[in-house]
Amino acid sequence: MIPLKYNVRNLRVRWKTTLMTVLGTGLVVWSSCILFGLVEGLEHSLKVSGDPLDLIILRKGSSSETTGGFITATADEILNLSGIARDASGQALAAKELLNIPIATRTDGSTTNIIIRGVQPASRGLRPDFKIVAGRDFELGKGECIVSRSLSRRFRGAEIGGLLYFGEKEQYRVVGLFTAGGSAAESEVWCDLKDLEHNTGRDGSVSCVQLRAASSPDYNRLQQTLNDDPRFKLAAIPESVYFESQSRSSLFLKAAGTMIAILLTLGAMFSAANTMFAAVSARTREIGTMRAIGFSQFDILISFMGESLILCLMGGALGLLATIPLNALTYETSNLSNFASVSVSFRFGPLVAGVAIAMTLAMGLFGGMFPALRAVRLDVISALREL
Amino acid sequence: MQGIPSIQLRGVDKDYRRDEFTIPVLVGLDLTVPEGEFLALMGPSGSGKTTLLNLIAGLDRATSGEVLVHGQDLGLLSESEITRWRADNVGFIFQTYNLIPVLTAFENVELPLLLTKLSKRTRRQNVATALKIVGLEGREHHYPRQLSGGQEQRVAIARAIVTDPYLLVADEPTGDLDRGTATEILELLEQLNREFQKTIVMVTHDPLAAERASRILHLDKGRLVDDILQGARVSAASAS
Ligand SMILES: Nc1ncnc2c1ncn2[C@@H]1O[C@H](COP(=O)(O)OP(=O)(O)O)[C@@H](O)[C@H]1O
Ligand SMILES: [Mg+2]
Repeated sequence: MIPLKYNVRNLRVRWKTTLMTVLGTGLVVWSSCILFGLVEGLEHSLKVSGDPLDLIILRKGSSSETTGGFITATADEILNLSGIARDASGQALAAKELLNIPIATRTDGSTTNIIIRGVQPASRGLRPDFKIVAGRDFELGKGECIVSRSLSRRFRGAEIGGLLYFGEKEQYRVVGLFTAGGSAAESEVWCDLKDLEHNTGRDGSVSCVQLRAASSPDYNRLQQTLNDDPRFKLAAIPESVYFESQSRSSLFLKAAGTMIAILLTLGAMFSAANTMFAAVSARTREIGTMRAIGFSQFDILISFMGESLILCLMGGALGLLATIPLNALTYETSNLSNFASVSVSFRFGPLVAGVAIAMTLAMGLFGGMFPALRAVRLDVISALREL
Repeated sequence: MQGIPSIQLRGVDKDYRRDEFTIPVLVGLDLTVPEGEFLALMGPSGSGKTTLLNLIAGLDRATSGEVLVHGQDLGLLSESEITRWRADNVGFIFQTYNLIPVLTAFENVELPLLLTKLSKRTRRQNVATALKIVGLEGREHHYPRQLSGGQEQRVAIARAIVTDPYLLVADEPTGDLDRGTATEILELLEQLNREFQKTIVMVTHDPLAAERASRILHLDKGRLVDDILQGARVSAASAS
């Protein structure tokens, strides 16, 4: 086998073209990683809604929390059902929640819909990893609110001490920032249910009830009661199913991302191929010499494919490394079903790693294939006559 | 050992086909090289010297006729077999040295050994021996660009002999060197022929270089025009 150092040193000798190609392929891998990192973040936020025993209860026929609710009296009956899980302090893990989607102003002055969720104390325990990360939690009935950390950076008045103002009747003082394990709650503002009912004049109704069953038989029984008992006739949807139905936007992003990644990879393939073609023609006589000495066509193929792979692996590694600072990246998109602003965090996961590896291998192998085949097919005698 | 046929060409033709034209390069060539001979091939440019050398070295194939080297009919070997055969039997020395620029002297010489199953230790010993024979101890870690032309050619010769091949082919090995350095290289080839009984076929333009050989053959338009023994040629030259 032709030693690897032959390839590595050649890459080093023509370091300028190597650097250009590495930067080019790196950029391509990087941009695709960003895209898929956001897709992954979005999917994560839709999926990590915690416990498989969680149920989200909506009005029958409603597919979203934002389209119609039901009356508080019914909701209170749900909270009194047996089979609901309790947290460490003995509080039942079930909460009435009410949503309002007013228009908020971004820091750049533009406006968008934002979700204000009126919650009960148990709501916190129903979100994975709910944490106050700055300031404090709101107090009941004081017109205070807490804002997800990623949202607070992007909206006017959403910083601690700020005032979220949606009109004379509806305004909230921000007292704290929270995170919720990357779940959908991270796109929301939370306030006391009573305050929201009062401010919006919607006392007497809720958007949904969220609850966690104590066990899986309880879960099945609760689901059945809520769906079929004439007292309720509601839609008790497993939380995971609910969020999956919301994930059309993720599917769209993924499809677009895949298209873009394929096109970018093709472009980078040509760039790698170009570099390798130049390498083969510059080293024609060397190739002839190695063939004369007794290296086979297969040895030559492996050597040049290897060189192309090393080149693209450097690019791929660079692209992946460059995603490290992105772990703090958050972007905003619209939930396609209610057009509220959804914030999605970049998330490095198997999808991103897989995309980066697949792109790198594709660039290295397909970009290197034709130049390597040219090297293989060189006529030894003419190659040796080359100056 | 002298006198046993080592290379035999019988009725060898070599044509090159370019478009619909056929260019005859070697015509009806018969040649016998005894084992251990140092043969010089001379002739004008384009007379077919390199082509003949390539046939003997198993780089190219005759259009018709037989090429036997060390009893092996090269025409019977497949492409991969003949590649393997070259690795085992032939050392190549080129006019332009053809060292790999990114490899050190040591690594260049080691290259053919990577085709063998020798251990790293044995390889290192063999490379050291080859570099010692060509007088380049202490230059192992120099890259070709850090060496003079003469030194580069010595590295190339070390690379050619490191596998202890049976045959050395040299195509104008002193073509790029000054007179003094050329003489040193020729003395080295003579030594390899004398001390290590290598059969050597050398193409050269230079009559002084050819004189080192035990026999000189002249090619003209693809035919061997004479077959003068070294002694006879020298006396003929001094007579005129
Ligand atoms: N690949 C080839 N295709 C066509 N003609 C060739 C090829 N290689 C060599 N020739 C021709 O064969 C003749 C002999 O070439 P060569 O053996 O290199 O001569 P020399 O080494 O004596 O100068 C030349 O006329 C050359 O043009
Ligand atoms: Mg020639």
